[in-house]
Amino acid sequence: MEVLCSDKKKSLLDPRTKLLLLIFVSVFVIGNAGGDAAAEFRVILNYTPLLFLLCARRWRAFLFGVIFYTFAYAFAVLLMPHCKGFLNFLILAMTGIVLRFLPGILTGMYVVSTTTVSEFICAMERIHVPQTITIPLSVMFRFFPTVAEEAGSINKAMSMRDIKFGGKKALQMIEYRLIPMMTCSVKIGQELSAASLTRGLGGPGKRTNICKIGFGFCDILVFLGLGAGLAFSILRACGVL
Amino acid sequence: MIELKNVSFTYGSENGIEKGAAGGVGETVSNGSLNNINLSIKDGECLLITGGSGCGKTTILRLINGLIPNFFEGLLSGSVTINGQNVSQTELYDTAKTVSTVFQNPRSQFFNVDTTSELAFACENQGMAREEILRRVNRTVVEMQLEPLMNKSLFNLSGGQKQKIACASVAVTGNDIILLDEPSANLDLYSIGELKELLKKWKSEGKTIVVAEHRISYLWDIADRTVILNEGQIIKELSRPQMYKLTENDLHKMGLRTNKDCRVKPDNDTELVMPDNDTLSSSGNNTDLSSSGLTRGSLSKSNILLLQNFRYKYKTGYLALSIPQMQIPVGQITAITGNNGDGKTTFLNCLCGLGHRSKGTIEFKGKTYKRKARQKLVYLVMQDVNHQLFTESVMDEVLISQLEPNEEEAHKILASLDLDDFAKRHPQSLSGGQKQRVAVACAIASGREILLFDEPTSGLDYTHMLQIGKILRDLKALGKTVIVVTHDRELIEECCDNEMKLLDYSKK
Repeated sequence: MEVLCSDKKKSLLDPRTKLLLLIFVSVFVIGNAGGDAAAEFRVILNYTPLLFLLCARRWRAFLFGVIFYTFAYAFAVLLMPHCKGFLNFLILAMTGIVLRFLPGILTGMYVVSTTTVSEFICAMERIHVPQTITIPLSVMFRFFPTVAEEAGSINKAMSMRDIKFGGKKALQMIEYRLIPMMTCSVKIGQELSAASLTRGLGGPGKRTNICKIGFGFCDILVFLGLGAGLAFSILRACGVL
Repeated sequence: MIELKNVSFTYGSENGIEKGAAGGVGETVSNGSLNNINLSIKDGECLLITGGSGCGKTTILRLINGLIPNFFEGLLSGSVTINGQNVSQTELYDTAKTVSTVFQNPRSQFFNVDTTSELAFACENQGMAREEILRRVNRTVVEMQLEPLMNKSLFNLSGGQKQKIACASVAVTGNDIILLDEPSANLDLYSIGELKELLKKWKSEGKTIVVAEHRISYLWDIADRTVILNEGQIIKELSRPQMYKLTENDLHKMGLRTNKDCRVKPDNDTELVMPDNDTLSSSGNNTDLSSSGLTRGSLSKSNILLLQNFRYKYKTGYLALSIPQMQIPVGQITAITGNNGDGKTTFLNCLCGLGHRSKGTIEFKGKTYKRKARQKLVYLVMQDVNHQLFTESVMDEVLISQLEPNEEEAHKILASLDLDDFAKRHPQSLSGGQKQRVAVACAIASGREILLFDEPTSGLDYTHMLQIGKILRDLKALGKTVIVVTHDRELIEECCDNEMKLLDYSKK
């Protein structure tokens, strides 16, 4: 057991908390639920994934987020009131895209990069999600990085054959990239499922799990924060505050 | 006891073609179907199944682990039983409690992303108690000395390390029947040695082992029995004494690889380069080149390819490659060898000028090429050729590689590689070997002077290995400089003029 626990970097949050965070960000930021009543809460939700990315030492994603947020807010607050017509619309669209979608993407990145497959499965079992949903979702954790690896190799092949964007073959570029991607993904998908099946995945009995998950201090903080934000927004919407 | 009685099988869709099936010059593609196989494997026996590409080796393993007919569909007749139980009618999760499989491709046989959960995965599926699983994982980790690999992301491991994890996850289950499907296809000599030790250990523990393999030399003194397949039929069954009588020539006649241990020739190398002292002190990892079979005196400036200050640093600051100077003869075939993880792939990327982290220059025919310029001088035929075939037809593939599309010229190139009949076919519909030749055709069409090959013979049988050897020699006859990164001793003996070895000094 020493071997297993020695240098295990424990993630700050429980997978279930991460999922809840992801749902909140999706509903309030991407879905724009609550409208003006939840405006302040939305700003806080925007910055929450950045905080956690920082804690997980994902420097690049963190910096990326900080820079884009700063520009987007600066544009929206400083520049937009002085612009009219098409320019105004353009800035609105750009800042809208950044502020709406980036938080969701960053939260997703945080969840995927700090959760192992078995932690995820374990968490899903605790909240009684059936295997038919859990297993396809957990395959995603592996499938996307694998496809990204493939895409990297295809990129190499492209640049070696001197096929680059622009020029007369611009449209064909997409096709050239997609065809090897598809053949490789299909093949890998098939091999992955064959391998997991020979190792007994999908049996009717109860699976065990070696990882231990549980709520800690940070989880409680996140729950309280999200609950407070939600309550605040609801009260605001009802006109109490 | 595993028994196959009168088993015949034909793949339903194109499932059989998808794997292996190298498909050589002008021959019909065998698709791995089986025809009336009778085979019984005793408990504790170590059985080697071998034969040419597409002969049905993998199909037999898939029958035993139940993937046929439960995952790969097709026409099956006859019966496959393990200890009296019919595998074909048993659910896969029940078969998984007695049979474990190690697959060929280390990139696609893991379910988890981190190594520790991967080892526990099969036991978790069986619903064993958590403490029992941890105890077993710990025991395996200690026995196989895997401590350095624990809690790592599988995406950061080398091919050899991944295969080790795959074997370890089999060991954790403690299953009595272990199947291995070309486990050595991506391994270097050192890792093969480790695999061999592991198989010996399993054998001494009384496990039943069935290996389907092309490279039979490392198994020759472990296997109790060898079965040779051809076109889906057993053409020979050899017991241990009979195996010893078999000569290399007999094997080659059947299209099989050598049974001799291919040893690296004794090192009387001339050191072409000395490691740079600065780098030695500043970083943990240095790559050194030593070469055999050529001396400095025989090279004049006009017929060498001079590599200078080759460096590759990872994002993390880890120096993966450092070659102050290296000389490769022009117009010859040079093999680059070395162990898994010693920087061979990085070396190729660097030579092609791929990736902005590649540093260094090359001098060729009096001209100096920097990174970007190299991309137009060098052509790489990748290990997985699927990555470099994009278009709708073989003809298009060649045409977009040419500087100026020229159909007549393209036909000539295709004809020289026996591909003219396939000019209108979709490249992805061809067999593995044919795809590889299409990639070579593109390389020729590009008119580039330096051609690189990354492991062109991994997973190929003797006949197809010879074909690759011939293609390489033909390229040499065209005046090209050919550089092959390979583990394959037989290919090196067959066609390479020089051999250079990459060494990682930090590990020595």
